[in-house]
Amino acid sequence: MATLHLLSHSPFADGRLNSCLRLLGAADGLLLCGDAVYALQPGTTQLQILEQLPASIALYVLEEDLQARALPVPARVQAVDYPAFVELCGRYAKVNSWL
Amino acid sequence: MKFAIALFSPPHAPASRRALRFAQAVLDGGHEIVRLFFYQDGVHSASASVVTPQDELDSAAEWRAFVSRHQLDGVVCIAAALRRGVLNEEEARRYERDAANLPAPWELSGLGQLHEAAQLADRLVCFGGN
Repeated sequence: MATLHLLSHSPFADGRLNSCLRLLGAADGLLLCGDAVYALQPGTTQLQILEQLPASIALYVLEEDLQARALPVPARVQAVDYPAFVELCGRYAKVNSWL
Repeated sequence: MKFAIALFSPPHAPASRRALRFAQAVLDGGHEIVRLFFYQDGVHSASASVVTPQDELDSAAEWRAFVSRHQLDGVVCIAAALRRGVLNEEEARRYERDAANLPAPWELSGLGQLHEAAQLADRLVCFGGN
């Protein structure tokens, strides 16, 4: 049963991203929104780690939050809008928010 | 698909806006929202006392309009709300406070409503953080 993980805290402020990465299943997805999109900042360890995840793990980012921070969309990551966010929730069996 | 949406953030937090936009997209996509549950600091997102600067999104007002327009089940956790001074008429009277700030369409109820919403819905999506 694949899970969509929802992360909104900056990976430079706490350990949520690291904890999430330890728990990610092979078919899980990770959607970054809010300050969590800073994980995609070019040249960071965080981005490097995300880019090295197995291809079976889908990576998404909420487009408007990335745009608000003027960050580029890395090739490994798929940018989604709100309708696509809703659709993703249906595609995975569970949605887990890292509050 | 049936969605339950829980909000843990106050109206000035980006997560409140994100939850609102998500909820709008759920309905626009032809899905159903079985319940909205506002918990912890999220109870402020239902408060009618919030005054937002004119050049900012008034997410508490937008939430109220959204819930009214679509006649949704908007539940605010009563324990979280009381300790933060978010009261409806009945609670303001009960605790002898001067003002109430939680008019319809919001309902005050217990955490059991979140548990039930999770059972009723196909997906529970929680919003919090930044």
